[in-house]
Amino acid sequence: MFEATLIYGLVNSVILALVALGFNLTFGISGVANFAYGAFYVTAGFLTWSGLNQLGLPFGVAAALAVLITALMGALMYRYLLLRLRGLVVSEVIATFGVGLALLELFRYLGFIGFEYTLPVMIDASVDIAGVVVDAQRILIVVVGASLAALLWVFTRHTRTGRAFRAIAQDEHTALTLGINTDRVATISVAFGAGYGAIAAVVILPLGTISVGEGYNVLVNALAVCIVGGLGSTVGVIVASLLIGYAQMITATYVDTHWMMIVSLVAILIILLIKPSGLFGQQKELEERI
Amino acid sequence: MLEVTGMMVFYENALAVNDLSLTVEAGQIVGVIGSNSAGKTTLMNTISGLILDLREKERRKGGERITVMGTVRFEDRDISDLPPHRRAEIGIVLCRERHPVFGDSTVLENLRIAGHLRARAEVKQAMDLTFELFPNLARYKRKKAGFLSGGEQQMLAIGMALVVKPRLLLLDEPLLGLSPAMQTTLVQAIKTVRQETGVTIVIAEQFARPILPMIDFGYVIENGMLTMTGSGQELMDNPEIKSAYFGH
Repeated sequence: MFEATLIYGLVNSVILALVALGFNLTFGISGVANFAYGAFYVTAGFLTWSGLNQLGLPFGVAAALAVLITALMGALMYRYLLLRLRGLVVSEVIATFGVGLALLELFRYLGFIGFEYTLPVMIDASVDIAGVVVDAQRILIVVVGASLAALLWVFTRHTRTGRAFRAIAQDEHTALTLGINTDRVATISVAFGAGYGAIAAVVILPLGTISVGEGYNVLVNALAVCIVGGLGSTVGVIVASLLIGYAQMITATYVDTHWMMIVSLVAILIILLIKPSGLFGQQKELEERI
Repeated sequence: MLEVTGMMVFYENALAVNDLSLTVEAGQIVGVIGSNSAGKTTLMNTISGLILDLREKERRKGGERITVMGTVRFEDRDISDLPPHRRAEIGIVLCRERHPVFGDSTVLENLRIAGHLRARAEVKQAMDLTFELFPNLARYKRKKAGFLSGGEQQMLAIGMALVVKPRLLLLDEPLLGLSPAMQTTLVQAIKTVRQETGVTIVIAEQFARPILPMIDFGYVIENGMLTMTGSGQELMDNPEIKSAYFGH
């Protein structure tokens, strides 16, 4: 029992981290809190499903296409909607949330409801770890989660665009004086975030069904992890995912699975009462007037 | 090389720069001398194009209305509407006031970020020049820029500007907040930068004493208006400048 909680708690934490990574990436770089994130996640799931079942594509192709299309949607949303609102935090939240609602409810309207919307697991096998049976898909999730986090770290330090990410995250005006096209970099960061969310969807959704409701859950979980960890902080995402991930698993094991979703909401409340900037968050100074 | 004509900038109804015209010849060091809120930073932002970005952001927010009039010509091309990152591409590089560096990144990372537009080899070359000019920076390569002293941050900021390969380098109050000894070091470094790279430099500064001896030509501005022009020597000999900036 204890070993199972330990291992499944870790898997659950990685799932949370994977889900939050994309949201956090976009926020940390462009300052945009993308409330359409959950909708993008579900969109990637339905796109993969359509590719597989309606177009008859192989899983890899369908998944890759879904990730690309979702990333493109992120870029388009930034370019044609958010660019006009840039810097108006409340308007950004309302606009992205509106896009998310519209997308999710469009799926509901189109009839994407029911249990047949599932994605196949990639490897149908399981392994025995310390007497606990873990299926290969969950191990894959851990591997993908770790790789995406590592990839992000390398990307932001060793590529031109990645460095530009770090630059505009710190000081947009200085970035401009160095010849960095900040609007373009911000667009790429939103696309990246959406793409990361899509990858998360493709590996996580095979564990359950693709549903509209999942879009809302994912958004709440991503928000909880980012708020507890401190918006924009990658270390914060990892620590907060472990905290919430284990808290959820312990709740599910010793209390009841129905209470799992409450954990992230309670976590948001507690952190907002104790340390509103999050465990590793730095409140950015107000933009200096020049 | 640079020709600013009839420049006027309003923040709402407040006039920050009033009908200002100035010319910079290639290879010169030009000084813009003025006290706080004389309009120096606004002028530098207008030449670098940053004002266009600020104007756009304020417009989106429904904030302060910024109005820019007049023309900026760079090498016989009207660049008045060119966005700031495009101006950096053609070689107009602004080093903003208060030593703007990326505090969470190391010195090396800062310089690499600055190399956004340039090829790897060019970046390497400019970095070597920076470390040669400022040996202190070479010692702190792996230190986060936020932990450097004000003077070191200013050196790094100039190094970053050099990495962009400027043809016109705009320095906005490079001496602000620095000790007299550090000011001397920086003035020396700026002279060396010109010798080594031949870059044209415009310095906006309120500390006239260390700046005037090295400039080829100077503009004195007050309340956004040009009040005096002349070579560095002429300005130094001017009795009004003497009383206003040299304290006797």
